[in-house]
Amino acid sequence: MRPGRRRRSLAGYLTMPAFLAAVLLALWAWVNAQTLDSIERRRANMDFIITATREHIALTFTSTLIVLMISIPVGIMLTRPWARGITPPAVAVFNIGVAIPSIGLVTIFALVWDLGFWPMVAALVAYAALPVLRNTMVGLQQVDAAVIESARGMGMTKRAVLTKIEMPLAVPVMLAGIRTALVINVGTAALATFIAGGGLGGILVVGISQGRQLLVIVGAVLIAVLALLIDYLAGLAEDVLRPRGL
Amino acid sequence: MYYWKRIAASAAVVALALAACNGDDADVAVGDDIEEELGDLTITVGSKEFTEQRILGQIAIVALEAAGADVRDETGIEGTPAVRSALETGEIDLYWEYTGTGWSAILGHEIAEAPTDTQELYEAVREEDAENGIIWFDPAPVNNTYAIASAPGVASGLGVSTLSDYADLVRDNPEEASLCAAAEFLVRDDGLPGMEETYDFEMPSGQVEEMELGIIHTRLPQSDPCNFGEVFATDGQIITNELEVLEDDQGAFPPYNLAVTVREDVYDEAGEALEELFNPITAALTDELLREMNARSADDPGFEDEIAEEFLRDHGFID
Repeated sequence: MRPGRRRRSLAGYLTMPAFLAAVLLALWAWVNAQTLDSIERRRANMDFIITATREHIALTFTSTLIVLMISIPVGIMLTRPWARGITPPAVAVFNIGVAIPSIGLVTIFALVWDLGFWPMVAALVAYAALPVLRNTMVGLQQVDAAVIESARGMGMTKRAVLTKIEMPLAVPVMLAGIRTALVINVGTAALATFIAGGGLGGILVVGISQGRQLLVIVGAVLIAVLALLIDYLAGLAEDVLRPRGL
Repeated sequence: MYYWKRIAASAAVVALALAACNGDDADVAVGDDIEEELGDLTITVGSKEFTEQRILGQIAIVALEAAGADVRDETGIEGTPAVRSALETGEIDLYWEYTGTGWSAILGHEIAEAPTDTQELYEAVREEDAENGIIWFDPAPVNNTYAIASAPGVASGLGVSTLSDYADLVRDNPEEASLCAAAEFLVRDDGLPGMEETYDFEMPSGQVEEMELGIIHTRLPQSDPCNFGEVFATDGQIITNELEVLEDDQGAFPPYNLAVTVREDVYDEAGEALEELFNPITAALTDELLREMNARSADDPGFEDEIAEEFLRDHGFID
């Protein structure tokens, strides 16, 4: 048995939010000290940033939720003994999304389907489905066969073994996959601005195309802070959801 | 289709071979004195990376070669800052620039303060840039400025033919006025903000769809997700997709006229002959002509040199 990770102290919990708040404050103070030209003012302003952040969060959470709804059931199914034959081709299908560069994937969805929120969500789902699927499968496969054997010996049904033994034991590995998916989606959602999907990428793209360093920094810092914040929240969820004694 | 292209290609090869026997494939039609002066010149031509600029670069190359100059091709440089610094440092000797870009991107002025008169803007840019050692030749009638366009029948169906009409539509019926635009158009003073100021309207944010410039081209003909879209006045797609272009009746967008820019030391060496060569060519360049050339190049990319040569031949600059 590996030793259980200790839960953090209160101060440990507060470090990350305090750090992120300090970064945002420093960014705000720095931008305020600059003289902004008209282009910078149109993107580095609170209204735009708040709208873009809301869109960015909506893209990230919707896509990750859909990833969970697809990848976890499929991952469970593929680890059942009867599915052994179809596992390699099924995993290969999930691999396609990751194999295509994200900008290409977004463009494909925009050209063959539509523009806006949902095509971007679909692209993000295709991109982040694999880590969750992989971790679900690995999480279930690493459960000690002897434990399952003894549960069966005690007269538990297959369903009960899955929900009461396998799933709880797989949770830490699965949660790690979900965190990966969330962080991938925060970053990739920056591309939504190319296909009328909104998000914080709109600040970054103007910064790059119009040669405004300030906007590049603002956009990049905001996306990074959002990624760290979401990862932190996922970490909290992990602490809560991880079964006691693991 | 492919078959015919091969025949055309073979014919071109034969024609070139024959021309080579004659010593040269084309001659300038205007004045022997130009040929005399440019005959010993070694010159490097640059351009930016997009279709129109590549065609313009080839027009300069073909014309200079016809005049007997030894020309090096450095066309297709990415972005205004890069091509401009190539000109200043001597990596290239000339390229075509737009007056509006000269005013804002190169000389660093606010576009809102640009003279709205074509000639005034040109004079202002020419005079100020001379201090940087860059000479601007005469400007072309081409004005490659921003424009708002719709799919055929959409704007006219809504009773819109000018930007004043469009401003009325935004005020009365904003859902019908939805606009597809790239980030650049939405943030630049000479883009949507300038248009809103001149025509006194405010675009509801829900009616603006921000996307990549290249995607607008694929969606505008279907009027989905927006009825109107940002284009450039010389866009080839205006012809290929038969787009309706709205008239900028109150002059919201500043002029973007084309002119050849050269470095001072090149001008000192052969400036008069170069001006004599380029000014008539520049004067022949119109929005319609560039639209046609851009549309042809979009259909069949990679033949910018042929398009350039045909233009020069059709207008009697080479024979």
